[in-house]
Amino acid sequence: MKPSRIVLPPVHTEQLPNGVTVLAAERPGVPLASARLVMRAGSSLDPAGRFGAANLVAEVARRGTHKRTGKRIDEEVEALGAELGSGTDEDATSFGFSAPVESLAKLLDVVIDVATDPVFPAQEFLRLQRRELASMVHDMDEPAVVADRAMLWAAYGSHPYGHPVEGTARHISALRRAQAIDFHRKRYGPASTVLVLVGALDLGRALDLARAKIGRWRAPAAPARDPDPPAACPRRVICVDKPELTQSQVRIATPALPRSSPQYFPAVVASSVFGGGFTSRLMEAVRVNRGLSYSVRGRFAMSRSAGLFAMASFTKNESVVELIEVLLGEAKKFCDSGPSQDELERTQSYVSGLYPLTLETHDQIADKLADTAVYGVPIEQVVQYRERVREVTAEQCREVACSHFPVEQGAIVVVGPAKQLARSLERFGPVTVLPARRFA
Amino acid sequence: MPATAPPGIVDLDRVATRTLPNGLRVRLLSERSTPTVSYYTFFQVGSRNERPGLTGISHLFEHMMFNGAAKYGPKEFDRVLESQGGTSNAYTSNDMTVYYEDFTSEALETVIDLESDRMRSLSVTPVTLEQERQVVKEERRLRTDNSIFGLMEEQLETLVFQAHPYRWPVIGWMDDIERIGREDCLDFLRSWYAPSNATIYAVGDLDPDETMALIEKAYGDLPAGPALPAVPAGEPLQRGERRAVVRYPSQAPALLVGWRGPRAADPDAVALDMLQLCLAVGESSRLRRRLVQEEELAVSVQISWGWRIDPGIFFAFAELAPGVKVERAEKVLYEEIAKAAGKVMSAREMQRARSLLRSGVLHELATHGGLAHAMGQAEALLGDWREVGRSLERYAAVTPADVKRVAETYLAPERRCVVELQPEGER
Repeated sequence: MKPSRIVLPPVHTEQLPNGVTVLAAERPGVPLASARLVMRAGSSLDPAGRFGAANLVAEVARRGTHKRTGKRIDEEVEALGAELGSGTDEDATSFGFSAPVESLAKLLDVVIDVATDPVFPAQEFLRLQRRELASMVHDMDEPAVVADRAMLWAAYGSHPYGHPVEGTARHISALRRAQAIDFHRKRYGPASTVLVLVGALDLGRALDLARAKIGRWRAPAAPARDPDPPAACPRRVICVDKPELTQSQVRIATPALPRSSPQYFPAVVASSVFGGGFTSRLMEAVRVNRGLSYSVRGRFAMSRSAGLFAMASFTKNESVVELIEVLLGEAKKFCDSGPSQDELERTQSYVSGLYPLTLETHDQIADKLADTAVYGVPIEQVVQYRERVREVTAEQCREVACSHFPVEQGAIVVVGPAKQLARSLERFGPVTVLPARRFA
Repeated sequence: MPATAPPGIVDLDRVATRTLPNGLRVRLLSERSTPTVSYYTFFQVGSRNERPGLTGISHLFEHMMFNGAAKYGPKEFDRVLESQGGTSNAYTSNDMTVYYEDFTSEALETVIDLESDRMRSLSVTPVTLEQERQVVKEERRLRTDNSIFGLMEEQLETLVFQAHPYRWPVIGWMDDIERIGREDCLDFLRSWYAPSNATIYAVGDLDPDETMALIEKAYGDLPAGPALPAVPAGEPLQRGERRAVVRYPSQAPALLVGWRGPRAADPDAVALDMLQLCLAVGESSRLRRRLVQEEELAVSVQISWGWRIDPGIFFAFAELAPGVKVERAEKVLYEEIAKAAGKVMSAREMQRARSLLRSGVLHELATHGGLAHAMGQAEALLGDWREVGRSLERYAAVTPADVKRVAETYLAPERRCVVELQPEGER
């Protein structure tokens, strides 16, 4: 069955004289509009000793501008039936909303105000700093969160992607308001900003609005510089001690591909065969055949400058060794022989058949457009997605797996009761036991 | 809260409906914006229909539904579906079990074949039952035994409900998960998985006439099921606060307070939605502002008001800042509830709640899956899928006095149930 080509609404791309890139698309349907204001000011730009700065800056920016207090921002946005979203990842910080289209102009004004003209009220800075620290304490009670934090650190080492976006308690505590202001001044600027507007809007009016609202923004920030590729990660085993757990979290990860890699489509297909849907190799081996876990996945997580290949699952403490052996065994098998023709074709149908579901709403399209801008990939990749997936060969899948699956290399992270687990993990490599609070 | 369609967003007059002679209800809507279809099958059975000793069987059985039938054997369901560009999943709640597929429109006939095959001839083998039992035990360890919220929620349900089947968790007690046998599953299948207890909702790039014909052909010869037993809905009147303490080696305390609300079909359910919005949705909501922003007692606070067939739980959950005494947060929470019960919400707060609700409805109905699911929820909980088109009107009709009255009636101090998390020891 040959899938139909993806149809996107025409995307208007424009660079304003101040350097801001605008991507806008008019799309019929539900009377909503989505906006994303995305700046290349992610956690990989956190200053040394101040991990978590980018994230906290975005949080505090919402708490007041020269024109509006934080309280007024909340009230203005929510009265229009919206919630102001803000988020930071390793590459970017974004502000945005999805709301009834008639509120677009008013909400856009708030979002641009927050991103470009925040005042970082001193009391609010201190309050959000305390809240981030308190929140981090709760995170330590979430085994999966601890495992993900430990995995980043173990796989990336000292690379700028190696610390969690939320930062660490020690660094957050040390961050001062002046440093937050400095981060905003240096990192938020028109040259590295993209504004995305998608929805049941009038394109001409939306563009006029965008030009009027953000076209006048001037800021000294220089374009963001990309981090270097990460170093390879030799085999190491990290056992994060949480004595109370009856079920351990397991991660196996190694540095892999950036999103702009020419191997992107083979990576999508390979990881889907290996650890994607309900019929993936990992699901079959771990859940269906052995009942070892409720969930297992193996995937490439790709960012702008680098990425990870990671396997993630959990099992009762008694089965941890068996689970790791199965994960590593399946990875090796896949690297040796790649997918069968049947697996390849089934997965190509699966991946390409479902792709339109990721483009169903204005919001999803806005996210896709923002991603192409942040990751530096052409929008054509969205339109050609199904054909590109169809072109992937079994050998390309094997190659991408062979280069990046953590068979001999890579970090193994287990979060569970170290007393019960650590000795048994030595068969996989040198074991380091760390307390969970190490990852706060 | 179930969704509602603002007039003009979804044309519900175009929904094609039929009840087959065996009782299977079918609702179809053609929406050609995206070349996909969402296909939902709702079975009116959940943990509410279980009995002690077999708690969790609805959920365990949901897992069994993916393990093969007469035409499509073990492991075939997902394999066939994925090979045609589709994906599938399911969930079980207190009231219902819902199976759904999202897929490229060309696969519609295959999906109907797959779903009707397992309704007709599911196989329950000792081997697959044992495997799924292990998987479900891992799911329980994940969501309950090693999750602070899971541990607290389980306690809250046993406080709020002392007689009603809502008192046990959907996933079941670990002992019962161990105990459920093949015969129990086969009994369950015969009782609850007949076409007369199921409804199909399909929304997307489909032709309603052709689809109806395919469904009739695939399901039409299945026999109707037996008459189903009523659920005992009795519950002793609560005459004072009930309390439980969870001691756990957590890093910080937490507070969970619940009250028994009305049934979903009760007109008060929408007034409680409005109260939920005013109290804890958005940065400018009362509890968020006071507990998180002003007094910094909590890191987060949320209210959940889940509509159910029988009276369900309205609860507030707060993750407290380390070192905060639970009673301090409780005091503030109760003060805010007393305020809501003592004085009407301002016009601004009511307007804000309505705007957020409208936006939520638009978002939910923006996808084929969201719309199909909303129709199924409305029919299961309110008795009519057309309610999807009516509830914005019902929100508009809620007055400030209604919101005050439901706060006063349902959230009275003598009706509350409190679970506090006490961090145990230092690590």
